[in-house]
Amino acid sequence: MRDYLLFYVNGQEHRVGGQDVFSPLSTYLRYGQGCTGTKVVCAEGDCGACTVLIGRAAGGTVEYMPVNSCIQFLYQLDCTHVVTIEGLKVEGKLNPVQEAMVDFHGAQCGYCTPGIVVALCSLFDCKTQADEQDVKDALTGNLCRCTGYEPIIRAGMNVALERVRSTGELYPPQEMIARFGEHQGRPALIASEGKTCFIPATVEEAVDFKEKNPGTVIVSGGTDVCVNINKRGLDPDVIMSLSNIAGLSDVKVENSHLVVGGRASLAALADWAREEMPELYKIMWLFGSPQIRNAGTLAGNIANGSPIADTLPWLFVMEAVVEMTGPAGKRLIDINSLYKGYKQLDMAPGEIITRILIPLPENNETIRLFKVSKRQNLDISAFAAAIRMTIEAGKIHSAKLAYGGVGPVVLRLPKTEAFLEGKEAALTTFGNAGKLAREEITPISDVRGSKDFRLQLAENIMLKFFLETACGREPVCR
Amino acid sequence: MPVVGKNLPHDSARGHVSGESIYVDDMPPAKNELIVDFFYSPVAHGKIKKLDLSAARKVPGVVALFTHKDLDGENLFGPIIQDEVLLAEDAVHFIGQPIVVIAADNRAAIKKARRAIKIEIDELKPILTIDEAVAAKSFIGQTRAIRRGNIKEGFDGAEHVIEGTFINGGQQHFYLESQAAVAYPGEHDQLVVHSSTQNPTEVQEVIAHVLGLGQHQVVVITKRMGGGFGGKECQATHPAAMAALVAHKTKRPARISLSNDDDMTVTGGRHPFQNTYKVGFDRDGRITALSAHLYSDGGAFADLSPAVLGRAMCHIDNAYYLPNVEITGTVCRTNYPPNTAFRGFGGPQGVATIENIMEEIAAYLKKDAYDIRTLNCYGIDDRNITPYGQVFKNNYLPRLFRELAERCHYKKRLEEVKEFNAISRTHLKGISMSAIKFGISFNTKFLNQASALVNIYKDGTIQVSTGATEMGQGVNTNIRQLVADEFTVDPEDVIIMPTSTEKNNNTSATAASSATDLNGSAAVAACRKLRERLTECAAEYLASQMTDIEKSPGNIVFENGLIYDNRRPDKSVSFKDLVVIAYHRRVSLGERGFYATQGVDWNWETGSGTPFLYYTQGCSVAEVLIDRFTGDLRVKRVDLLMDIGRSINPGINRGQITGGFIQGMGWVTTEELKYSARGELLSHSPTTYKIPNIQDTPEIFNVDWIENDDNTLNIKGSKAVGEPPLMLGISVWTAVKHALSFVSNGKLPKLRIPATNEEILMRMTQYAKHPGAGDEQLKQPALLP
Ligand SMILES: Cc1cc2nc3c(=O)[nH]c(=O)nc-3n(C[C@H](O)[C@H](O)[C@H](O)COP(=O)(O)OP(=O)(O)OC[C@H]3O[C@@H](n4cnc5c(N)ncnc54)[C@H](O)[C@@H]3O)c2cc1C
Ligand code: FES
Ligand code: FES
Repeated sequence: MRDYLLFYVNGQEHRVGGQDVFSPLSTYLRYGQGCTGTKVVCAEGDCGACTVLIGRAAGGTVEYMPVNSCIQFLYQLDCTHVVTIEGLKVEGKLNPVQEAMVDFHGAQCGYCTPGIVVALCSLFDCKTQADEQDVKDALTGNLCRCTGYEPIIRAGMNVALERVRSTGELYPPQEMIARFGEHQGRPALIASEGKTCFIPATVEEAVDFKEKNPGTVIVSGGTDVCVNINKRGLDPDVIMSLSNIAGLSDVKVENSHLVVGGRASLAALADWAREEMPELYKIMWLFGSPQIRNAGTLAGNIANGSPIADTLPWLFVMEAVVEMTGPAGKRLIDINSLYKGYKQLDMAPGEIITRILIPLPENNETIRLFKVSKRQNLDISAFAAAIRMTIEAGKIHSAKLAYGGVGPVVLRLPKTEAFLEGKEAALTTFGNAGKLAREEITPISDVRGSKDFRLQLAENIMLKFFLETACGREPVCR
Repeated sequence: MPVVGKNLPHDSARGHVSGESIYVDDMPPAKNELIVDFFYSPVAHGKIKKLDLSAARKVPGVVALFTHKDLDGENLFGPIIQDEVLLAEDAVHFIGQPIVVIAADNRAAIKKARRAIKIEIDELKPILTIDEAVAAKSFIGQTRAIRRGNIKEGFDGAEHVIEGTFINGGQQHFYLESQAAVAYPGEHDQLVVHSSTQNPTEVQEVIAHVLGLGQHQVVVITKRMGGGFGGKECQATHPAAMAALVAHKTKRPARISLSNDDDMTVTGGRHPFQNTYKVGFDRDGRITALSAHLYSDGGAFADLSPAVLGRAMCHIDNAYYLPNVEITGTVCRTNYPPNTAFRGFGGPQGVATIENIMEEIAAYLKKDAYDIRTLNCYGIDDRNITPYGQVFKNNYLPRLFRELAERCHYKKRLEEVKEFNAISRTHLKGISMSAIKFGISFNTKFLNQASALVNIYKDGTIQVSTGATEMGQGVNTNIRQLVADEFTVDPEDVIIMPTSTEKNNNTSATAASSATDLNGSAAVAACRKLRERLTECAAEYLASQMTDIEKSPGNIVFENGLIYDNRRPDKSVSFKDLVVIAYHRRVSLGERGFYATQGVDWNWETGSGTPFLYYTQGCSVAEVLIDRFTGDLRVKRVDLLMDIGRSINPGINRGQITGGFIQGMGWVTTEELKYSARGELLSHSPTTYKIPNIQDTPEIFNVDWIENDDNTLNIKGSKAVGEPPLMLGISVWTAVKHALSFVSNGKLPKLRIPATNEEILMRMTQYAKHPGAGDEQLKQPALLP
């Protein structure tokens, strides 16, 4: 069995075993390699100062995307190419993104700047032109305390695009792809000072390992697990990284179901939703940041099981089905019966999530998703809701409601659903439904919002739904 | 061609964008280096019964543990009142108060040692709100007052009176680079400390003080900070002193760099205030009297709180003339980390209080708040004396109000807002203009001084050292441009060196927006002396080269890097050559410049004086959109118009304005500090503490300033710009207040700072559920269980 990781940093091959495997990429870069351009501020994915590009082999080339290096541990980075701020100059000179940042005063104290430059370069890796919203969307994961962002936005909109050279051009992919190819199919098992990390190449290997090592912590995108390691004292002895398992990363439509692979990133889901399901896209756009969506997975959101996981209310009203693969084979479970308590899942020790199947809605259904957080973007919900209804001739035929942030698990509201069904779609109906919804939930006060706030949101969201959807006949004002 | 006034890039920009700029924690580790951190109080108030370090000492990798007993100097210090200890002795006063300094070979050992320290504390009841502090008479320093006119007559003559409470929450600096320092031990107990500080001199002084060294034994160097905003004015000192302690005791290099969570937990921020006010006004809304009492939450130790309160009291008038006024202010001692300087330094709390009042007078009289503001605005020839007796000269406010209102079509948009609110059942809009008149200079007279060292090398290049520290605000770039122009050389030939107490002694903090004013003036003073010597030398040299002219320094001209006698412009000498000539003639090519602001003074006994050299001014119009069901707030449009004199570097000034505005907007909207009933900060990382995101920038954001060159009092007619725009962010909050006035059933809309979506929704809900209820007075937000 392979006992090292293989990856590249700015075009240089690194083979790493031992304790380093268990450290965050940012630590490896800053303290191990002296690449101090990558900054660490929060160490939990919320500021973007540590942003680097991660390249993975895809379709004969290496595809790059920005991620937070503070919550990417080396064991997640087998067979990748890491490009840091140190690797972005072109022939020793500032690249056009960097030049624009200089010319438009995009940097003041400079501490956020490497992360901003990396994220912007990534935008221009795939875009030949960018408008203001594109720049904002690319930098949602990067906080800046000095500039007020406006100079950065102007820099982003004034990049000399004709001179931009993509990361793929800067780093010829052939050799890396060949090396990755040699390694990816071979599982790796690395043990050092009481810690073990397994990187399976297939689902079978994964299931087998997990069954034999019941305490194993699965790491997929790591956007939950690695935060828990950095901040909440999680210190797993045995880790299994799913990053090399092939064939689980697709998002596609099959038999009137949306089928999301167990390794599919939230970014891939968002990309699909942009055209196909704008209402879902709205929520995906609010989900974390580009860096978080690039790393994080839908399966991780489900398995983490937080009552404020943003995809869950949607999955609940869609009555999504989760495919678990275990030693005994595959099993399907309705997401509405997956959760047994706060972060308690109906999942056997040997099982992993391999697919999520979401029945596509009918044309006559109205689906609205809501997320309320203190800050609009890159914030965890104080309250989330999904409302799915069929309303015909002014009458509610069916109603499915799910709320997040109002109890230990995401909740369906059976009483309110029953109340709504058969009623006239009128303001008073929704007003009363809102009052009823309050009764069905048990929110608490915490740092993201008070109990009263959440109760009020639970009530109001019904009215918001009514007034903002076609049935409200109100001008939608935004 | 002069470079002052040019939009040159920041002198570090190229390093920043390529990740090559070096911050403290980026400095390569020295051999043998120790990592330093500390163990802090887990309770907000208590007596230490027992401290057991034995297990921690045994943790592999741990090299040393130090308590207050290991300090050879004095533990007690403080910038204004000496009431603070570096390491707790027998009592602890806030969660996060340092008790034990830990030095180890590696970070993992520090973590383990922290857990292995055993402490027993007899908990005492903490004071966690201003109300509790007032009830317990727990104050820092004395109550101060500023009075003018006859307050009784003012109220007697008023047709209307409003009384109310204003409450603002604190704010974390959230500089991205946490507090950090590296200390290198030297011979004879000397130390060199690299610190991310706005105040190297204070770091030097406190290190010497706590270690029992002479100040001459300690050199403090600051290359740059990854943001400061006031948070590294006093509070960079503690970590630097800890690193120095370890280096001094172990004779090994020692590095400290706080984690973001610890930094937020243990350092203070902007002061929460709770102000009661009573304002009298006539039927038009003209203020006849204002009395206000300001209470600030100083936290456990004085730090800069008395000075912050003073500035709040000097800014409660803001843009408005108050004929009869009585402002009193008290700092409360509570069991939170000491609150400290933060961009605006009390100004924001004073300004927000009166802008709140403006909005309330308008709502009360059912008038346009713009009209109330312009009616009360300071006059040019009369109604131009501040409550503390300073004459407000060069008043551009009436013009700024008028011009900005026209430019952004304020009146028309106000009508549109009204129409929108009458129709929309889903959303609510508000629009508001607020202003800033910000006094420039330290209120404390003696701080208004600076020195600079300018060295010219034989190749004509120049190094400049001043007491100013660079935290992104561009002071070094400004000084570079000023110096380049003094010799008409290329700015690339001028480098601003890291700030060092070795080059510039007894410096003031880089604060009060005045770093360029003070240090730029000092640098220019040094340059002028050098230039005088070079002029003399050039006159002599040029005369010696020509037969037709006599030596005449008065005829010497510096232009585009050439020096010539204006009677023979064809015969010139380059700056570089002149420097070599001067060197060979044994002319000194180094000089020190000194600057002290003239004409400023302040007296707390009388609450009066001329504390400010001049005022930076501005106006802002913000339009907001609120979701009636969720309270979500979007800032649709912002227009800013300022008077910042003449810019040394317009690009840098623009960045100060946009950055300051957004930081102020954050304070009044999403930046909410949540504490538990134990006094523990719960929002101690960006996961829960929400500074503005790029998506929160106004959809339309117009930034401009007026042309004006009458600020002859300051260097090159410039005006300080670091802090003032922050207070324009308050317009976003007054716009929310304006929006709420549409649903408050004719009552005054009450609103706390920050106006989070929860705060907004709960206000709207209350209005909807209890339409008949009277004006409710604001209370402090609840502590979490
Ligand atoms: C800065 C930041 C912002 C965030 N914003 C949001 C947000 O807006 N909304 C939101 O809902 N969440 C948010 N999150 C949380 C997180 O990003 C999501 O929950 C994400 O979906 C987790 O996916 P992951 O692949 O990174 O999971 P990981 O961290 O890798 O794993 C999470 C959990 O799932 C388990 N797991 C992962 N994959 C599998 C599998 N295939 N089979 C079985 N178990 C598995 C792991 O063992 C672990 O217990 C945020 C996180 C951060 C750090
Ligand atoms: S350090 Fe903040 S996201 Fe990584
Ligand atoms: S430039 Fe300082 S944080 Fe962005």
